[in-house]
Amino acid sequence: MDWLSDTWAAYQSTLGFAAVNAVLALSTYAVLSAGVLSFASVSYAAFGGFLGAQVMLHAGIGPLLALPAAILAGGVLSFLVALIFLRLEGHWMALASLALVLITRVVVLNAPALTGGVNGLSIPVELPIGVLILLLLLLMLIFQRLAVSWYGIAARAVREDPAVAASLGMSPRRVQMIAFLISGAVGGAGGVLLAVMLQFLSPDTYFVNIAFTMIASVVLGGSYHWAGAVAGAAVFTALPVIAQAVVPAMQDVANGVALLLIMIFLPRGLIDPRAWRRRRAARRRNA
Amino acid sequence: MELFAEQVLNGCALGALYALFAIGFGLVFATLGILNAAHGTYASWAAIAALAATERLGLPFPLAVLAGVVAGGLLALFVDQVAFQPLRARGAGMLAALITSIAFWIILDSLAGFATGQQSLSFPQGSYPARMYHLGTMPLPAMQLLTIAAMLVATFGIHLLVRRSRFGAAMRAVGWNGAAAALGGVNPRMVVLATAFLAGATSGLAGVLAGISTQNVSFSLGEGLLLKGFAAVVVGGYDDVRGAAIAGVALGIAEVITAQYLSTSLRDGITYALLLGFLLVRPRGLFGRAGFVRA
Repeated sequence: MDWLSDTWAAYQSTLGFAAVNAVLALSTYAVLSAGVLSFASVSYAAFGGFLGAQVMLHAGIGPLLALPAAILAGGVLSFLVALIFLRLEGHWMALASLALVLITRVVVLNAPALTGGVNGLSIPVELPIGVLILLLLLLMLIFQRLAVSWYGIAARAVREDPAVAASLGMSPRRVQMIAFLISGAVGGAGGVLLAVMLQFLSPDTYFVNIAFTMIASVVLGGSYHWAGAVAGAAVFTALPVIAQAVVPAMQDVANGVALLLIMIFLPRGLIDPRAWRRRRAARRRNA
Repeated sequence: MELFAEQVLNGCALGALYALFAIGFGLVFATLGILNAAHGTYASWAAIAALAATERLGLPFPLAVLAGVVAGGLLALFVDQVAFQPLRARGAGMLAALITSIAFWIILDSLAGFATGQQSLSFPQGSYPARMYHLGTMPLPAMQLLTIAAMLVATFGIHLLVRRSRFGAAMRAVGWNGAAAALGGVNPRMVVLATAFLAGATSGLAGVLAGISTQNVSFSLGEGLLLKGFAAVVVGGYDDVRGAAIAGVALGIAEVITAQYLSTSLRDGITYALLLGFLLVRPRGLFGRAGFVRA
């Protein structure tokens, strides 16, 4: 029993970070599922995170009450971003969103009133890990409902072929705008949860590393189902921990090699609905 | 006035490094359709290779640069064959390639850290041209002139290659649609290999020159180039070598002038402010034309 509680104590924070990364990955998945590769989730997370942190620090309220403020902040920012980005075409949008990540850091550095500037911001607030998991489960439920709603079906059509979707009476622009808003709201929530997990925000918190964590989680887990984002975040968060336990000297190298091997052998990710459908069809043929 | 002219020259030399790096990054993005996060590590490793060639083998400056450039190209070939070729063979698209490039970024960055002993090394005095030429009273360091010349040669050479040669036509065809290019008699495999090597070599050259002029050979070398080179690609346009070169130089000048006359803390800010402005006004880059896509 001691062994169990020791393990729990050691890996509790890993579980927490996995849950937060899952929320952030879902934000990236939200736009990707409508055919948009965008790293702008980092910016929504930064805005939501810093705003939420300020609300917690100054109004003295708990993280659960700061959450709506962060969601709103992320949503508003994503609306503005979408207005610009939806005029660009695919490749350019990916580049532009990565540029936005770089700009975010500069803005954070130059707005010390909101962000604490170079010194960062300390947030002495705690959120029980159970609550965090519950929030993630709630979010997963929302994504499941969305996936089978008219919006989910339209998003899939727009992702596969915008021209066909448009000819069937769906407006790709409108669907992608909704995708951006969902991404913004979820990203803002993820940002404030990350702030609570880290208890400290620096200008480098919301930067290229977290952008790559988000996109790697989604693609690793499988970008054709929301569960892929959650599974990918779990694997991507656990990989460095495992690598450190197994080969401490070469932990980054081992981490990279594992990532490389998974992607080469499972390019569609760990969770692949198309593979499930094929397997089911094969069973039916054999029966 | 002389100070201003000196700073413009400094900016041009710095910008030439960004431009060289951006050309390589843009080539890969336009032809192979890969957003390559590992590209910065080619520059780091090229600089490390050139330093090793100087210190261990005692090669003279031109050969050491050549060693670095070839190392950058070969590394790019290796990464392409290991990380991207299996995905290309399966038709897995840009996303999976982005992740494998991130994987190689992590691996090569960490190995570069081991190679330099987690330190910032520098080229020994006398292993590179350090002469000072003079124009009136204004000093013109040989290294800066060399960097700018290398950038001009690379830009014109690669621009002519892409726009005027048969091989360039094949590159553009593969960039547009590999299968259609193959039907038209192009060997996509060869084009991919040559593009990867060329891109790695160009960025490698940027890495070697940056390693010498900033006195910093370490894994952080590539990261700095990657961020600024990326900005140059977005401003200049990834499908045009000239655009990336002009944007790189312009960013370099803007950075140095801002640091001199406004404030050093705005140095990075100005790059990204320009970036944002260009995204709003000219989202397709300096030489971008409005294209059309058929369904």
